[in-house]
Amino acid sequence: MGAAGSKLEKALGDQFPEGERYFGLENFGNTCYCNSVLQALYFCVPFREQLLDYYSSNKNIGDAEENLLTCLADLFTQISSQKKKTGVIAPKRFVQRLKKQNELFRSYMHQDAHEFLNFLLNELVDILEKEAEASKSDPESLSPSEKTANGPANGQANGVRKEPLVTWVHKNFQGILTNETKCLRCETVTARDETFFDLSLDIEQNSSITSCLKNFSSTETLNAEDKFFCDKCCSLQEAQKRMKIKKPPHILVIHLKRFKYIEQLGRYKKLSYRVVFPLELKLSNTVEDADIEYSLFAVVVHVGSGPNHGHYVSLVKSHNHWLFFDDENVEMIDESAVQTFFGSAQEYSSNTDHGYILFYESIGASNKS
Amino acid sequence: MINTANGMISQSSSSANAQSPGLKTYFKTPEGRYKLYYEKTYPSGLLHYAHGKTVTQATLAHLKDKPAPSTPPAPPSSFSASSGVRSAAARLLGAGNGSRALGFGGGNGGSKSLSGSSRMGSLGASSSSTSLTNTNFDGKGTYIIFNVGDAIFISDLNSQDKDPIKSIHFSNSNPVCHAFDQDAKDGHDLLIGLNSGDVYSVSLRQQLQDVGKKLVGAQHYNKDGSVNNSRCTSVAWVPGGDGAFVVAHADGNLYVYEKSKDGAGDSSFPVIKDQTQFSVAHARYSKSNPIARWHICQSAINSIAFSTDGAYLATVGRDGYLRVFDYSKEQLICGGKSYYGALLCCAWSMDGKYILTGGEDDLVQVWSMEDRKVVAWGEGHNSWVSGVAFDSYWSSPNSDGTGETVMYRFGSVGQDTRLLLWDLEMDEIVVPLRRGPPGGSPTFSTGSQSAHWDNVCPVGTLQPAPSMRDVPKLSPLVAHRVHTEPLSGLIFTQESVLTVCREGHIKIWMRPGVAENQSGNSETVLSTSSKDKSLLSSKVGSSSYRQ
Repeated sequence: MGAAGSKLEKALGDQFPEGERYFGLENFGNTCYCNSVLQALYFCVPFREQLLDYYSSNKNIGDAEENLLTCLADLFTQISSQKKKTGVIAPKRFVQRLKKQNELFRSYMHQDAHEFLNFLLNELVDILEKEAEASKSDPESLSPSEKTANGPANGQANGVRKEPLVTWVHKNFQGILTNETKCLRCETVTARDETFFDLSLDIEQNSSITSCLKNFSSTETLNAEDKFFCDKCCSLQEAQKRMKIKKPPHILVIHLKRFKYIEQLGRYKKLSYRVVFPLELKLSNTVEDADIEYSLFAVVVHVGSGPNHGHYVSLVKSHNHWLFFDDENVEMIDESAVQTFFGSAQEYSSNTDHGYILFYESIGASNKS
Repeated sequence: MINTANGMISQSSSSANAQSPGLKTYFKTPEGRYKLYYEKTYPSGLLHYAHGKTVTQATLAHLKDKPAPSTPPAPPSSFSASSGVRSAAARLLGAGNGSRALGFGGGNGGSKSLSGSSRMGSLGASSSSTSLTNTNFDGKGTYIIFNVGDAIFISDLNSQDKDPIKSIHFSNSNPVCHAFDQDAKDGHDLLIGLNSGDVYSVSLRQQLQDVGKKLVGAQHYNKDGSVNNSRCTSVAWVPGGDGAFVVAHADGNLYVYEKSKDGAGDSSFPVIKDQTQFSVAHARYSKSNPIARWHICQSAINSIAFSTDGAYLATVGRDGYLRVFDYSKEQLICGGKSYYGALLCCAWSMDGKYILTGGEDDLVQVWSMEDRKVVAWGEGHNSWVSGVAFDSYWSSPNSDGTGETVMYRFGSVGQDTRLLLWDLEMDEIVVPLRRGPPGGSPTFSTGSQSAHWDNVCPVGTLQPAPSMRDVPKLSPLVAHRVHTEPLSGLIFTQESVLTVCREGHIKIWMRPGVAENQSGNSETVLSTSSKDKSLLSSKVGSSSYRQ
């Protein structure tokens, strides 16, 4: 382990980014699903910085109850404050807390990294909302939690009432989808908004993320058994439905639906399809012609041929270098190696390392958020 | 190991019978059906572990008659005359090929004597045969050169044999790109670039005459990466460049070499002062080879293409930019960014007016040299676009001199395993965009109207990525799934379209009614980048629509 660390340091040489730490995470028996996602989140710089900010401004109330948020903040602080530049850390407290919190993750069975990410982000939001709630009801205990709930960048949003609270987790990950349904009789368009932390995309063999996103937003006709109740017509009508992105998130998380329930088999099957993902991406299925550009910074990779076993690793871009995290091991890889994780063009292949969750960050002068 | 085994199984099953499950053996166009004629691939036994790490590219090479006694000596002074002779010879040959192709249906008895190359094939296959060189081999014919794993394979385009007639193995590094010089008067005509950065030039005829599995009579450039140790990404002969060629590398540099020089001289170049700027450095000594280094960008150059007259060089790369250079002036003329992601391939129209690019935004981009910007985006691929080409043999059905319809046909292939064919009609594209005076002339002229689209961009600047709504869209004429693996390239010939997949399978799709109008076309050379053809067709092309 130590040797691996020094090897990475040697590989980076004087290009080792100032103040950056590259630490592997110990595996406590099938916790790679957790490690791979934690690395992706750690190298999601705005998320990390805001979490560390939160942590430092809450230190004085350190004896507050332990929760997943404090455990995650603890872990990130532990990594970022290491004296050494590389090495291994055991995310023991975090994993213990996770298992305590959710029985799903308690067993030693293989877990789904996407489920974990989803659970974690929702849990963090819940904790932040509860804290904000608590500080509101008790106006004496002001600043720290209040401040964090609204995000350090936006301290003056206190007066807003009854609006859904926008935490820094929301600010990073939340986007808004709008579900447009057009009644084919009266042509009225009904739009319903929903928020998301990630987009789960159906995948096809030999396709691209661009194409999967297009399919996600393609127009679907509701007819026959599946008609739409139009409020204006007051009856079931044929309708056209499509999903568009109303507010693109700052961090776009794309989950490839590689685990598919096959009815004939009565079980889940892993789709090893080759789905190419570009290092830069634009969303064209937005409500406005925003053309916001995203840059890929992390990929959680599922290794293995089936859904119930296997391994998770992650690829992370940090300061223009790509790193490969496999539990306690960290290696530098060439950017061109990212394409070896696209999937297999043919069904039977020994290549079982497939990109599963993609993390894109919006770049350039982003107008909103 | 498992990988190799699997690869072989799938390979043999998919190529043994043309009818892979779910793949049709024809596709329809307005002109008629393109039929899968035959396939080419590498011998399955030769699969290597390295296979899969490199992407197969294919180059078409047309060898003329041996320049020895049999051919009447072409007048060396006049280029046009000599090219006339060449295309005449090619026409004869083309007809011969066609009739041979037809004859195959029944039995190939009659054609055997014709094809020296099939004889060659049997020689190459039996490895036991002694080291005799095939002196009878006249070498003329059309060949497909393609790389798979650590080898270069050469197949006879006009034989039905699936297996190549020749394989050349490289022990040090994998070959990844190649180019053939149609106009080489003598000596070396084939370039091979390796993953290690090394480059070789050889005589194709000499390779075909030799029965070994090694490169023979090669000249070695950038030996062991002495000049540049990053991967070769693309090689090209300079059209009319008298044996000059360029090699693009994965680190954003491009080198100019001359085949007449050996690479012995000192060819170190000064340190690049500003990595972000385009710069050209010339070798300090006249003996040096390479003679120049072009620093183009900081990331990989993925593909390069010369305009057919050699005046312009287009490059596309990882940074998503198309760049067009005036080759002799060594100046950046124009260029622009993809919608997003890297650009992977590029190709010129025969008349030099348009450049196609394809890339990671799944779009086929049409770049106008006149406007110095993107004039259309082709939407239709479900994955990255890995190969683009204009069909220079296609003639518009209504190109009867009315001049109303400017038409080009082009094709694209992608990692979605599909071949798409497109018609480009500039009038149709420009008119809806132009909010100019109603009833204005529908002709395509420069710098007249008011819309922002008509602003011509200044020379030497790179355009930012256009926004989605600003670029007119094209829809494909035909979209056909041609292989089971992602594709890497396509080539148009007079009789056919060749599709190439990353894993080393090549399919040859015969054009509709190719047997009947064998001699109906004025352009006959079976090649992609022959200059003879370019001169011809650029004249034909311009007269047909520039009223």
